[in-house]
Amino acid sequence: MQRPDWAPETIDIERPSVARMYDYYLGGSHNFAADRAAARAMVEAVPEAPLMAQANRAFLRRAVQFLADSGIRQFLDIGSGIPTVGNVHEIAQRIDPESRVVYVDVDPVAVAHSQEILAGNDRAAVVQEDLRRPEAILRHPDVLRLLDFSQPVAVMIVAVLHFIPDADRPEDCLRTLREALAPGSYLVMSQASDDGRAGTGERAEAERVYRRTDNQLFIRSRAELTALFAGFELVDPGVVWVPQWRPDAPEQAENAEQAVFMGGVGRLGG
Amino acid sequence: MGDERATATTRSRPGAFARAWAKAVSGTSYLPMTQAQLEALLQRLTERLALALRADPFDLRIGQQVGAELVQSHIASAEGLGRTIEVIQLRLVRDLDLVVDDVEDRMARLLATVATGYARALRDRTLDEQEAIRRAAMMARAQAERALRDSEARFRHQATHDPLTGLPNRTLFTERLTAAITAPGRGADRIGVCFLDLDRFKVVNDSLGHQVGDSLLVSVARRLRRVLGEHLVARLGGDEFVILVERAGCTEDVVKVAEAALAAVSEPALVDGHELTVSASIGIVERQVADTSPMELMRAADSTLHWAKAAGGARWSLFDADRNRRELARYALSAAIPAALDRGEFYLDYQPLTGLRDGRVVGMEALVRWRHPELGVLRPDSFIPLAEETGLIVRLGSWVLAEACREATTWADGPAGAPFVSVNLAVRQLHRPELVQEVQGVLRRTGLPAERLQLEITESTMMSTVAEPVRALRVLADLGVRVAIDDFGTGYCNLAYLRDLPVSELKVAGEFVAGLRAPADDPGSRTDERILASLVSLAHALGLTVTAEGVETADQADRLRAIGCDAGQGWHFGRPGPAAPHLDRCSPALTDTAS
Ligand SMILES: C[S@@+](CC[C@H](N)C(=O)[O-])C[C@H]1O[C@@H](n2cnc3c(N)ncnc32)[C@H](O)[C@@H]1O
Repeated sequence: MQRPDWAPETIDIERPSVARMYDYYLGGSHNFAADRAAARAMVEAVPEAPLMAQANRAFLRRAVQFLADSGIRQFLDIGSGIPTVGNVHEIAQRIDPESRVVYVDVDPVAVAHSQEILAGNDRAAVVQEDLRRPEAILRHPDVLRLLDFSQPVAVMIVAVLHFIPDADRPEDCLRTLREALAPGSYLVMSQASDDGRAGTGERAEAERVYRRTDNQLFIRSRAELTALFAGFELVDPGVVWVPQWRPDAPEQAENAEQAVFMGGVGRLGG
Repeated sequence: MGDERATATTRSRPGAFARAWAKAVSGTSYLPMTQAQLEALLQRLTERLALALRADPFDLRIGQQVGAELVQSHIASAEGLGRTIEVIQLRLVRDLDLVVDDVEDRMARLLATVATGYARALRDRTLDEQEAIRRAAMMARAQAERALRDSEARFRHQATHDPLTGLPNRTLFTERLTAAITAPGRGADRIGVCFLDLDRFKVVNDSLGHQVGDSLLVSVARRLRRVLGEHLVARLGGDEFVILVERAGCTEDVVKVAEAALAAVSEPALVDGHELTVSASIGIVERQVADTSPMELMRAADSTLHWAKAAGGARWSLFDADRNRRELARYALSAAIPAALDRGEFYLDYQPLTGLRDGRVVGMEALVRWRHPELGVLRPDSFIPLAEETGLIVRLGSWVLAEACREATTWADGPAGAPFVSVNLAVRQLHRPELVQEVQGVLRRTGLPAERLQLEITESTMMSTVAEPVRALRVLADLGVRVAIDDFGTGYCNLAYLRDLPVSELKVAGEFVAGLRAPADDPGSRTDERILASLVSLAHALGLTVTAEGVETADQADRLRAIGCDAGQGWHFGRPGPAAPHLDRCSPALTDTAS
């Protein structure tokens, strides 16, 4: 996707943005009427949508916790969304205030909001870029300023891949990112999946809702998501429904397949 | 029991109630914490609730703070509140084993304060978030607009500046010039333009490469901007620059600008490791705004620049209206040639080439005339050079060739044969691949024998002996057509090349012959005579005949004859005019009896 660097994306508050719909699912109020209307239509089609969002966000939190516990102090969160509760820098910097976080999102409103939240935090920054332009992300001055790629970095691409069609060759973007990473780095990914849920008609309806936004939905199977971790060694328990990924308590993993999101964490060996 | 209650108010591990509460609210909203953290939080709030239930007098604030703290900890949904009320109502007193007077009354008030604090905090949070997101949307739009403006400005800059030197380009210059001229109320102001072009820039490019050429342009641009900062300096393309002098006081002001520019350009400069000194030519136009238009001004500046170039460069020229008018008239004349050809306004005069030994007319040179409806009869020097520049010479030359051959066939065939006709051939004609065919066609159509046609080409034409024209001449010479070198001696005078050319005659330029007009004992005259003599003997050695041009006196003719020169042309033998009178003198017998 080549657009001029000044072309405005969704600043039109009459047009639903996936970032603000997601905020609504999480119970936030960082959204406008159009976002809420689209989100409600989504809930109509897939009643668990808010729970799915919460489960995904909880996965993100546990993954950051896991990475911080594993000694990771640098995070590159691509498709970070509207800063809401439990942002990566809050979790990571609570564990170690020296942790560095760079957020990346295409949504200009999400970026502007992140700028406000991060004002005064000199170990975190936000960059408006597209996951599909990994070279631009890696070259960005803020990325270069905050992250040291000779040391392990955790790349987070959480609940974003289902907005990237195969035609945009996500595997190429991931390879470019991987090649920039030092051994011991991590990749965290989750995305909407219909493994075992195909044929409920929900998928078609969800896709219809998202056609109102700038982003379409591209659902992937567990095998497809696993393939995107190429080059990384999946840590236990591999690619699973997100509530099953290292739950705080066993009962949290109940009815996991209703979560719709599958995710996992991979480590770059060598 | 009292002791137990006391311990319950200090930090303690989550009790049954806190765990039940945590279970009830988890899943009602996204909680950015582990279950253990949630239970610890709720244990603390449980203790606050127990305190509130027993405090005397009843304290509204404790319950409200608990409600607010729930929201701040992100237990912030309608369900979260509902389940919280339910759990407190059902289990708080029982699980904590509390003994309180008026328990129902106090419980109702406690729940009311929790709900109030919760609702108020939730509303505040909603309003804050709404404001934050609106501000973010505004900020994002402002940033996008700024980016758009920046990129528009960048785009505009790119569109109006030369990428190599960073100077304004033709677009911006034209805009500024137009604005300066068309701005209302400026009619009385004077405006000046200096059109600058580097001298022999091509040599730099060709010998040192384009990269050095480009660096030189950058360096010149920098120098011009430095000395002429207050005036607009633009690069129009190539090595052309232009300086706009808005609000010129008088011509002298603009001349000063031009001189400063020339000085700046001619400063020696180190360019890519080469010490380069270049010069420039400038055309200056300075006039009152009311009297001009941007286009006219630039056209005038362009012509004036050519004057400076033609005068040798490294100088400025000032626009001169009279000179410009004359040149324009010349251009108008050349543009009228095609129509004049169609209307038959051209005709030929002839000048005889006379044998020096017997006085016989051996040939006649065809000279084109233009009977112009307004200007009268024009001589070739007023329109041929322009026709050569514009390429119209090809059509005109073809007409001359055909007409000369046609007329020559009518010339009486005397005992020694009729004279040949000599036709000038321009460079451009010579380079046309169709030349051989054309000459052959004319000869066939007119029936003129090839031996009676002579083509005159200038020496300089032959110096650039490109293979193609030489081959064409050779074919024509093989057919029997005579080839003469016109104006011989004015060029390089290199006889060696003549060996390789199919030439049969040399026409020695009038300058040499002019020297023979002085008395024979004048040293200068003697030198000319000697040069001519050796020229003639060399030519004879090469098997060429020699015709002297510009013969004006009988004495010159005698001396040329003595040297061994074959023929003469000039006023002494006959002025250009219709063929017939010359032909009358064709017979050597007639000439003999007349003299
Ligand atoms: C569902 S949110 C996920 C937010 C966060 N990562 C999480 O999981 O809680 C998806 C975000 O991805 C962003 N996004 C979508 N396509 C993107 C792309 N091509 N490049 C970068 N961000 C993208 C959207 O603007 C949105 O903010």
